[in-house]
Amino acid sequence: MIAKDRLTKIVGAGGVSDDPASLDEYARDMSFVNAVRPVCIVRPKDAEQVKKIVELANETLTPLVPVSSGPPHARGDTVPGTGGAVIVDMSGMKKIINVDRARRVAMVEPGVTFAELIPAVAKEGIRLNMPLLPRQTKTVVGSLLEREPVVMPKYQWDISDPLACVEVIFGSGDEFRTGQAAGPGTVKEQWQVGGVQKAPYGPGIASWHRLIQGSQGTIGIVTWASMRCELLPALEEPYVVASSDLTMLLDLTAWLIRLRMVNECFILNNTNLAAIFAKKWPGDYQRIKDALPTWVLFYNVAGYEYYPEERVGAYVKDITAITQRLGVEAIRAAGDVSAGEILKAVQRPSAEPYWKLRYKGACEDVLFLTINDRIEGQIAVMNELAEMAGYPTSDMGVYIQPIAQGTGLHGEFNLFYDPENAGEANRVKGLAAAATRDLMAAGAFFSRPYGENAGAIVNRDAASLAMLNKLKDIFDPNHVMNPGKACF
Amino acid sequence: MALNKEVYQEFEAVVGEENICADPVIMPAYYGNDFAAVILPGDTAEVQAVVRLCNRHKLQFRPICTGWSGMFPKDIILLDLRRMNRIIEINEKNMYAVVEPYVISSELQAELFKRGLNFCIKGAGTNCSAMLRGHGHMDQTTSGDDRNHLAIEWVTPEGNIVRSGALGSSDEWFCGDGPGPSLRSILTSAVPPGVTPGVFTKAAVKLYHWPGPAAYDIKGISPHYELGEIPPNMMARYYSFPSVEKMWQAEISIGEAEIAFELMGFNISMVAANITTSNEEEEETFNRLNAEVQGPGFFVIIAGNSAADFAYKKKVLEEIVARAGGRSLQAVEDPRIEGILLCQCTRISASIRETFRNGGAFNSIPIMGQRDLTIRWAIGAGKAKEPLIEKGYIVDDGGAFFGWGVEQGHLGKTEIFCKFDPQNAEAKAAVEAWQKQEMERAFKESYFASTMGPQDEIGPALMNYNLWWSKTTRALDPNGVSPEGGSLV
Amino acid sequence: MGLEQYKGDMEMCCRCSACKFIPMQKVQGSAFSYACPSIARYNLHAYSAGGRLNIGAAMLKNGMNYTDKLLDIVYNCQLCGACGVSCNYAMDMEVLEPISEFRLQCVADGKTNPALDKAVAGLRQTGAMVPAKGKRGDWAAGLGIKDATKEKVDVLYHVGCLTSYDKDTQKLAKATAKILKKAGVNFGIAGDAETCCGGRAYQMGYKEDFLAQAKKAMAVVKKSGANTLVTGCADGYQAFKVLYDRYNLRGELKVLHISEYIAKLIHDGKLKPRKRVTMTVTYHDPCRLGRLGEPWVHWQGQKVPGDRFVFDPPKEYRRGTKGVYEPPRDVIKAIPGLRLAEMTRIREYAWCCGAGGGVNESNPAFARWTAQERIEEAVATGAEAIVTACPWCEKTFNEAIKESGSGLKVYDIVELVEKAI
Repeated sequence: MIAKDRLTKIVGAGGVSDDPASLDEYARDMSFVNAVRPVCIVRPKDAEQVKKIVELANETLTPLVPVSSGPPHARGDTVPGTGGAVIVDMSGMKKIINVDRARRVAMVEPGVTFAELIPAVAKEGIRLNMPLLPRQTKTVVGSLLEREPVVMPKYQWDISDPLACVEVIFGSGDEFRTGQAAGPGTVKEQWQVGGVQKAPYGPGIASWHRLIQGSQGTIGIVTWASMRCELLPALEEPYVVASSDLTMLLDLTAWLIRLRMVNECFILNNTNLAAIFAKKWPGDYQRIKDALPTWVLFYNVAGYEYYPEERVGAYVKDITAITQRLGVEAIRAAGDVSAGEILKAVQRPSAEPYWKLRYKGACEDVLFLTINDRIEGQIAVMNELAEMAGYPTSDMGVYIQPIAQGTGLHGEFNLFYDPENAGEANRVKGLAAAATRDLMAAGAFFSRPYGENAGAIVNRDAASLAMLNKLKDIFDPNHVMNPGKACF
Repeated sequence: MALNKEVYQEFEAVVGEENICADPVIMPAYYGNDFAAVILPGDTAEVQAVVRLCNRHKLQFRPICTGWSGMFPKDIILLDLRRMNRIIEINEKNMYAVVEPYVISSELQAELFKRGLNFCIKGAGTNCSAMLRGHGHMDQTTSGDDRNHLAIEWVTPEGNIVRSGALGSSDEWFCGDGPGPSLRSILTSAVPPGVTPGVFTKAAVKLYHWPGPAAYDIKGISPHYELGEIPPNMMARYYSFPSVEKMWQAEISIGEAEIAFELMGFNISMVAANITTSNEEEEETFNRLNAEVQGPGFFVIIAGNSAADFAYKKKVLEEIVARAGGRSLQAVEDPRIEGILLCQCTRISASIRETFRNGGAFNSIPIMGQRDLTIRWAIGAGKAKEPLIEKGYIVDDGGAFFGWGVEQGHLGKTEIFCKFDPQNAEAKAAVEAWQKQEMERAFKESYFASTMGPQDEIGPALMNYNLWWSKTTRALDPNGVSPEGGSLV
Repeated sequence: MGLEQYKGDMEMCCRCSACKFIPMQKVQGSAFSYACPSIARYNLHAYSAGGRLNIGAAMLKNGMNYTDKLLDIVYNCQLCGACGVSCNYAMDMEVLEPISEFRLQCVADGKTNPALDKAVAGLRQTGAMVPAKGKRGDWAAGLGIKDATKEKVDVLYHVGCLTSYDKDTQKLAKATAKILKKAGVNFGIAGDAETCCGGRAYQMGYKEDFLAQAKKAMAVVKKSGANTLVTGCADGYQAFKVLYDRYNLRGELKVLHISEYIAKLIHDGKLKPRKRVTMTVTYHDPCRLGRLGEPWVHWQGQKVPGDRFVFDPPKEYRRGTKGVYEPPRDVIKAIPGLRLAEMTRIREYAWCCGAGGGVNESNPAFARWTAQERIEEAVATGAEAIVTACPWCEKTFNEAIKESGSGLKVYDIVELVEKAI
């Protein structure tokens, strides 16, 4: 265990806290993982301090739990998996290091939130490829490292996008920079010759950033990350297509993305749409839901510098040919909610309170990856399980996000519940576990194993697990990094 | 070193008598490498069995495919994957295809074209494996490097089968990442140094929309192939610019406007090579075209998904080019030339003309990453070719470099090579010296570090990645049976 | 050494594997993408043209090293030339010539294949490459065809060994004679005096036997007074037209394949195919009529020292461009009721029937395997019949069909013309 004063020596007295109230905050989150108290919280200010903390952890075999976003956490990955852990809270590292319009890249420290970065990049005429309505306290680096799906599948060429490079302190205490950032030269020296930290692969033939993404802090602690950005459109025309025919909507979505005609593009069920856009509860919520068929596809057609009206016009024309063939119509509003309002909302983090908490106060997400051919079957499985568990399916949110230019879908069931109601909470907990099990059997790929159900997930693939463990032993030989999380 | 008889028979029992050869007489066909045997496995199970035998008998192995030159340790067992040539699946709705190693790009692409799909073909040519990690002419829309692999089936150096991502967990090919961290961090086939040990027996590759025809209507008899007609809503042009800066301005604008299907920064020497049918014709054509261009340039293909889309892209292209003072090469406006370039730069069927035809060899420095940065380096590398041209060591291509846009200009690739006669020892030495000198300069001036250089020099400047990599390979290959070594493309 | 002249060519091979496949932009999918039967069947890179060139280059440097494996590689090659066409789309280098030269070297060094020795022994005895039962001219009995050894003729019809002696292919000779008669051509045959063109012996590697046969064959031509020689055998065609020219034995003799000759007769109105032959057919380009039937290019020169593999004077490579592809197709198109459905691998990049290069003799199973691949390709077009212009192709196709039980029919061009006139 690390003695408090050794941490204080690294980060200063103000950077270490171990009062019970603070410890309690990190001991649990909204998920169903057991509460485990850390022994203290340390708040480094730079990579040098992080490195010293990690070295100390190795010396004393102290578990470290890196956190960058503020509460409420929901995945269980920032709750210690074991006793004696130290929370490494990076949320105070808030430097926006670089924003480069010409090379469409931004670089930030771990504590920078979406709310902070969006205006900074907008000033330069660029924007982020964002996840759907992150909470205000959600950090960009946190989201990137989690491989959260993003709302513009067209611009996600690879599942690791938009992440580019990272600077990381491995669990071994070694510093490393991935991709183009590795060198030659320091980051500043690279800037001096006109280099930016954008090409993600390497150094060498490995793509080290892929090992750190999805690891839930079990490989190392990231001290900055760069990400590719896209241009701010000059013109945007958002549309919705509402239908009870999900097959048709998926078909339409696949073509919109395949032909690269749309930027933001995703499907929400009416419950989620209502949960996001209801202003007055419960009236608005019910009215929005009742006005809509089950599914709403949202997409945005954009133009840039050169003749944006012509470009948008040509795309809209081509899209209309498809919608006509499918027998549907793209319109400008889903019931009360205008496409413009949706667009505006998804280009920012969620307004407070965080949208997932507005309905009942808590939400358990069941999230996985899948393909067009399977999602409807998986939705049917989930509906059946919900019914069996006594959870009203009409209360369940569904979010379908095409990823990686249409090579997959992120599927997400949002189980809203009242955390004060033990019965409801238990029901949802049980439902989430059953869902993980049965959805896997129906072909869902739980690529991001969180919480209690992580064990069941990773045990499906012993061979990959064995390989990942070999890598873990290399980069975190003493297993100090967030033990008990991800697949470790 | 001959395999001892019993061990030979054990391998033979797995693959059959016809599919193993230890006769050194065939070594010249296998890179002149001093091997222990060449084994031809037919499927994943045979690969696994062979690898396990290698572990048992402490024999080293490497897989090879369509590869050009190869470097392997002595007494290696070469797994020639020629028999593993099936296309396993093409999933149109979910935009991926699954291939075995010896499916060549041309075969896969032809099947994809029929379905209105395409994939990233490596610049080395469509005669190369479709499974390769790599980069190619169409990267502007088909991405490149390690970003096109999805799930991979991998026989590890110890002889276990790992199926990455969704494949291992849910028997699906669409995703190679997870659960948790991604094994795609280490699963990348590549040129040495630094090759993932073990054998990739199947891989899923990402697919892209193909707005062109289901098959090109090719007329004529080899080597004079031409297109019967330019397919609708497609156009190919070559533009030259008054300066590198202007060329870059146009190139990046085209990327940001998302109008190009392909942006291939050919130099005019490569255009001349691509469209001609002999060395003599190439020389004459190069001289003629070189007189026409005003400076560096690039080749563009635009392809519309509809007439309206095409009209928009064409209009924007012409405006961007005009703004940068660019000029269209008349030769390429001739439909006969336009057509054959269009075909060959999407089917990637003329790479050999561009590289090997002249002297028989070419030594190259290819760099993936940030295009504007590497162009600046390449200018100097090009100037450094001039003394070699003067001495007649290398083909005169005006000291040019080339490259292309990747992912609508988000990334890029620059390459520069010298074409020469490898039997000419002086020329070979001069080219190797040029290569070394320019890679060192790139390194010292912080442009990039070509990881083809000596690992112990480059490694420390790149976060000692080579040490992490060797730790990784040691962990994956405790018996040391899958050593460094591989063949190009 | 003969191989020495190809040193530069063999060293040019960069191992790109294009020689294994049909020209890259002609590939239509995973089916029918291979051009080389040898690599397609035996898989080791050494069986490809590139592999052979690599080995040739090494042995030129280090000395010949004849192992069983090497000889297996050498003799399991039909010398069909598809490799060269694919390679020479992009590269300026000889491909088939060094492979052929390597074969000649093997034979010169006494490293022969027993089955080929047997065939050539037969040739020396009977002047035929096939078992000679009866007399060579027996098929013509009672047909009233002019004896070109006794009368001067304009056109000498060279029947060929297989067509003369094989019961199944003699019908082709009869059909040809009927057609030429109908067109009023002043032609004759040498009958028993006809002797093998020697082409097959050359492919097998027996250069001296080839030259001996060539001289004999040209003597027969001279005796006939014919200025034109017509044959229905692609091997014979290539021998007379190309090989004899190469070795300066052909003189002024005009050589035409029967399909070329018929196409000309139809064009000139001397032959009118009027009867309907209702059938969907696909056409198989024989290697030695197609890509290897291209005229020989007499060239002598030196490599220009420097950075490129170029010569002074510039070397014109035979890339298969000028082979005979259209005349047989023109003939098919001229026959009413025939519908032509092309295979994937046609013209200069047609797949070999399997018979050539001595493979028919030394490894009939491989020949049949090759033919079977072709039958599958033909069946895939939906055609009822495969039509070709060489008795060796027909023989091999029929053998493959018999083995596989396919319902596909096999015709020679002359059989279809005979039906139509």
